[in-house]
Amino acid sequence: MTAICAFIAVLLIIQIWLVSAALEALLSNDRGVLLPAALASLVIFAVNGGLLLHAVRFDRDLRRSAP
Amino acid sequence: MSDHPDDAPPEVPRWREDFPVRWAHDHYVTRRELAKFLTLGSALLATASGAIAAIGRWGRHEAKAPPVRVARASSIPPGGSALFRYPTSGDPCILVRGQDGSLRAFSQVCTHLSCAVVHHPERDELFCPCHHGIFSAIDGRPIAGPPIRRLPMIQLELRGDDVIAVGKDAS
Repeated sequence: MTAICAFIAVLLIIQIWLVSAALEALLSNDRGVLLPAALASLVIFAVNGGLLLHAVRFDRDLRRSAP
Repeated sequence: MSDHPDDAPPEVPRWREDFPVRWAHDHYVTRRELAKFLTLGSALLATASGAIAAIGRWGRHEAKAPPVRVARASSIPPGGSALFRYPTSGDPCILVRGQDGSLRAFSQVCTHLSCAVVHHPERDELFCPCHHGIFSAIDGRPIAGPPIRRLPMIQLELRGDDVIAVGKDAS
């Protein structure tokens, strides 16, 4: 679980960088990079959601298998 | 004697659970809760990125500014410069005449931290004195120092002896 938390945190930092880069691009009228940045952020969110789902399912399976 | 007639434990408000007075009553965030919070933050950041992309796609685009007479061409010698404001009175710009005699104009606002750039005619450069950023006075691209974006160029037209600003490029 610690590894999952660390991995999600690293991906979150990348997302923060993507938001700041997209904002910078918007303010400098460089609109071509906005959509790829949004898609990349969405993919990262999907990965984070998948990791969280994996942890939740792992806990549930553990509870089921417990005597 | 109890304050509660039915001997039920007093209902503790949620904020008191989260911010207890005594250390012993504190409970720490579990790794699973942390992962949930981080994923929630991830969702918010993905939404923010999407919102920025939507603003870039469908948001307000700057209307073309009307032409403005900014100087008399004959009043600026080679290597000379003049200041003007375009497209609004809050947008300082600089008109420079290169050593080859051509007229060019740029936003005077440094793209690093918004100081005013000045013309160095001997090297055909625009210099920002705040952090020693240097831009080319030919196309506005950054040459040295912290700026990474070029200075927006002002589109000019010559009508007789009048120099007219007719538009502004993005940086």
